[in-house]
Amino acid sequence: MATATSYLSAVSEADARARTARSSTPTPTATPALSFASSTSSEHTSDLEEFDDNDDKLMGPLSVPFRPPTSEQVFSTVHTEFGHCASEEYRHTSAHTPGTPIHGHIDKDPPYYILLSTYISYLILIVLGHIRDFLGKRFHPKAYRHLMPHDGYAPLNSDFDSFYTRRLKTRMDECFAQPVTGVAGRTIVLLDRVSLDYNRTQVATGTKTRALNISSYNYLGFAQARGGCADVVEESIKRYGISTCGARLEGGTSELHTVGEKLVAQFVGTEDSLLSSMGFATNSTFIPAIVGKGCLVISDELNHSSIRFGVRFSGAHVRMFKHNDMKSLESLLREVISQGQPRTHRPWRKILLIVEGLYSMEGTMVNLPGIMKLKEKYKFYLFVDEAHSIGAVGPNGRGVADYYNIDPKSIDLLMGTFTKSFGAAGGYVAGKKAIIDRIRVKGYSGPYAEAMSIPVLTQVIASMASIMGVAVPTTSMNNSSLALRNNGSNGHLSVDDEYHHPGPVPVKTLPGWMSLPSELASGEEGRTRLRRLAFNSFYLHRGLDKLGFITYGHPSSPIVPLILFNPGKMMMFHRMMKDREVPIITVVVAYPATPLVTTRVRFCVSAAHTKEDIDCILKACDEIGDVMDIKHGLPKSERWHIDEICARAVELVNLPVDV
Amino acid sequence: MDSSPLEPALAYIAHALSTLERGFYKLPGSAIIERYVRSSHQNDPGRTFLELVLFAFVIRTLLQSRTRADKDAKHFINFSEKEIDELVDEWTPEPLAPPLHEQEASDLAALPIVAGPNGPRPKLVSTGKSAYNLASLNFTGLSGNEHIKQRAIETLRKYGVGSCGPAGFYGTVDVHMDLEKDIADFLGTEASILYSQGFSTISSVIPAFCKRGDIIVADRGVTLAIQKGIEISRSTVRWFDHNDLQSLEDVLLSVEKERKKKRGPLTRRFIVTEGIFERDGAMVDLPKLIELKQKYKYRLILDETFSFGTVGRTGRGLTELYNVPASKIDMLVGSVAIGLCAGGGFCAGSHTVVDHQRINGPAFVFSASMPPLLAVSGSEGINVLRSTPSILDALHENVRAARSILDRLENITIPSHPASPIIHIQLRNSASALSVPVAKPGSHKPSNPTSAMPRDPPQFDILTEEKILQDIVEEALAQGVMITKAKRVRGMEITEARPSIRLAMTSALSKKETEKAVGVVKAAIVKVLARRR
Repeated sequence: MATATSYLSAVSEADARARTARSSTPTPTATPALSFASSTSSEHTSDLEEFDDNDDKLMGPLSVPFRPPTSEQVFSTVHTEFGHCASEEYRHTSAHTPGTPIHGHIDKDPPYYILLSTYISYLILIVLGHIRDFLGKRFHPKAYRHLMPHDGYAPLNSDFDSFYTRRLKTRMDECFAQPVTGVAGRTIVLLDRVSLDYNRTQVATGTKTRALNISSYNYLGFAQARGGCADVVEESIKRYGISTCGARLEGGTSELHTVGEKLVAQFVGTEDSLLSSMGFATNSTFIPAIVGKGCLVISDELNHSSIRFGVRFSGAHVRMFKHNDMKSLESLLREVISQGQPRTHRPWRKILLIVEGLYSMEGTMVNLPGIMKLKEKYKFYLFVDEAHSIGAVGPNGRGVADYYNIDPKSIDLLMGTFTKSFGAAGGYVAGKKAIIDRIRVKGYSGPYAEAMSIPVLTQVIASMASIMGVAVPTTSMNNSSLALRNNGSNGHLSVDDEYHHPGPVPVKTLPGWMSLPSELASGEEGRTRLRRLAFNSFYLHRGLDKLGFITYGHPSSPIVPLILFNPGKMMMFHRMMKDREVPIITVVVAYPATPLVTTRVRFCVSAAHTKEDIDCILKACDEIGDVMDIKHGLPKSERWHIDEICARAVELVNLPVDV
Repeated sequence: MDSSPLEPALAYIAHALSTLERGFYKLPGSAIIERYVRSSHQNDPGRTFLELVLFAFVIRTLLQSRTRADKDAKHFINFSEKEIDELVDEWTPEPLAPPLHEQEASDLAALPIVAGPNGPRPKLVSTGKSAYNLASLNFTGLSGNEHIKQRAIETLRKYGVGSCGPAGFYGTVDVHMDLEKDIADFLGTEASILYSQGFSTISSVIPAFCKRGDIIVADRGVTLAIQKGIEISRSTVRWFDHNDLQSLEDVLLSVEKERKKKRGPLTRRFIVTEGIFERDGAMVDLPKLIELKQKYKYRLILDETFSFGTVGRTGRGLTELYNVPASKIDMLVGSVAIGLCAGGGFCAGSHTVVDHQRINGPAFVFSASMPPLLAVSGSEGINVLRSTPSILDALHENVRAARSILDRLENITIPSHPASPIIHIQLRNSASALSVPVAKPGSHKPSNPTSAMPRDPPQFDILTEEKILQDIVEEALAQGVMITKAKRVRGMEITEARPSIRLAMTSALSKKETEKAVGVVKAAIVKVLARRR
């Protein structure tokens, strides 16, 4: 823990640095690292220059590629945003092999002493908390005034309700709400802070640290301030402005919304789609449009809060089944259909099953083939929330349906967000036109919520089009700046204007002014991103497993939870990762977001990471794991050494999926 | 002593009991049990019996299965597997979404789509021509501001588009903190918190504070977002008549009486209402409201979605208009999307109020933070409003100009406040094709506060009125003025709002242009209503 003295010394250092920066004008000559980065993009200068270049923490090893690029390699991205990785062997495809079994969620148990010590830790924390409250209320009543009734007002937050926050979460506040600046890409710049009053407040020290970012939702690495997509977004702001001024149904619809909706429908393979300006609101405002009183929603027990919100808004009855467990689902279905509505036994008007494609805390992938089989028999409607899986899984990045090679048209509603894979914000629902039109009119967002803003919309269109690739009709080959060569990788030459799922997007779908650079328009870079993400996900997942850690989830999933168990290890893990030579920032989560015992670290892999970045993370985990005793997955004899894992990464990734 | 045949048996029993007693006292902890039994007995066998029943109940509860499935419920019917299969086969669900009916489909088809930038005179896709825009929300004309666009591009070049994470996990970008500070400074509150969508703000703020058992006193005419927030909070709701502070006071009094009668503990109590009502543009009397809230010790959640950035000398909203310190409002909710033409919403208040939401506001915790460039656009919007009060003057001038044209029109009612930048136009009952009995005026019995329905609900025929209004909208568009009906999700709100046309004034049109555009709307109303007769 940073003490007051270390804080003061940090402040004085920062002051000194700031003074020198003011007295001597920053040198315009490029440092070696700068020239590396700028050698990669022809017209744009590196983003590094936007930060004070005397802050060497920002330059560090993270800014320079592990292997300097050779003369024929041209990278169009900035290394700090999207890592340079030219080696074709560090690629993988995320696809289901037909015939392999699909398991539900598997709980892996640690030794008993770990479970016991976890419970004891919580017990100690709770007892200490109550003692502090007891004494505090008597000796320092002023600090508790806002928790007690005063002046005829009941407290906003009673001391009982806020106990967990005050006595447990406050202890590790340094892990949460860390302010950042710049792009949340491969690396991220932290605005350093300290707390001088036991986490009651946090003070910015004024310094910045560049850290390896394995925490942001940036699966395909489209969080970029430079590059083709950002150029197109800039153009859109110049052409259209920022806001579309109002709700979709009340004068806030732009032609770009029509384009975006058509493109999303093509991307996921449905007739139509509808956009929403916020991911959370996509669920919470659209679900009430399709279910209501007399309907039943069957929901996976680990579904996201936004789904619960939406279902509660709708007034539909809700039942839950065990996470990703087809047996539990089937027995529930048999019960609810045979029993009908509670008390009256009337048949349900309709039953909607809501599941997620990838679960954000577990990394498990939905057993879609199992659900499709049940769907045939039990006639329920299916709503798949692809918030995390769209763009992230499947050989074409089209989500879980693509991964399992299931016709997306056979799923009634596909929902997803643009935050995670497309570097944008907001969400969509996609399905048959009749259903989407109903949601357009009856979803709360239509008349009430602001429409998606222009830059966000353009980012969605540009990134999605570059994942799909743009098909150019042969006649306009010579004059179009959109694509230099035909996209033949999917087995058909796109000579006609029609869209074939999951192929490239016809050029007429995109707005005429939008010109993507050739590497994006050809879909080449999009495919590389998908394959890099798959490689990185598999590698981190299996690397951690082989090191002996307990991880959850599917190896295809870019979400890799590593289970820590003891709550005390949470903050230590976070801090030890952040304080390394190459700082790594992590997301640690505990109860109530997870079950009480399975406190975890959640890594979010990105296509922007290079193999060396994953090596770096594995090494860090290996060292910390030994220090903190968190390797409980494999007996010592079966573990691999870290060097062996790094060396045999490709072999490890290519092992068949057996989860 | 006479010998009795029972004597040896009694002696044996006495001996056995004393052995048992001695044995019992040898057990560790027996003294505690003895003391417990003694103190619970207190020479009253009834008490011991009660203890025993309790003990038996505990045992029974412990032995019972933890997760009692519905199978044990009273109404559960046991079916054989075969019967279940048959029932499954027989069950036919309704279609997932009923197809749109004629009116809905034609309304959707008639939706104007803007080609190019939206603003005071956007080009429409359908006609290919530009039209005066009285539909989109661009009150202070920030939409086309070149400086804001430039700053947004700069932000894009430094931060990219998305923030890629919830605020708790590396989604708190410095520009978010700047905008939060800017909003708090602008309004004069201690702090503020950003949400990534305007609509989701209030429906998340309410459940963050109001829990089961708390009391919410709300206006009957609140917008859907507030209705949903109240619904999800599970608090006890009492309704007062729309924008009627006398009715509010009555309700507050009755709640107080109820509490005294029940002698319940002190619970959190909230008044929830809007500054300018989304449903009809009415404006609340803020000083009176604050007086009431302080008198009865309620906290005030005020939704300023349509008043922030539109009223007051520099657009600070109702607090500026009425000259009331914003710190008197406990939770002041506004929209960055509407008031500042960027995106998202905010809740301003004290540090305690704001920090509480950072952990308990569902739409804040579980959602990615807003894109940085929208936050910067919001900050720049505030700068523009601060530095150029003439924008607000122009807006208010246009509102007055519009009202002076519309107020003279017969056959329509305008429930909106004269200063409101949104103007709702409703049909008078006589214009409606279907004549429905008008409620008797003068019945002064108060409405039932537990029901959202007022005592004498206004009568109107939604379908017919919607049809007429849509004709007016289309007629106006044909004459080059884009307006819109106030769209609703019919059948999903607690009470149905009367159909209306919602005009949104903007400072981006000059007074002349505004007069011309509103004149066209007036002509369209006259024409369509004449045709109906």
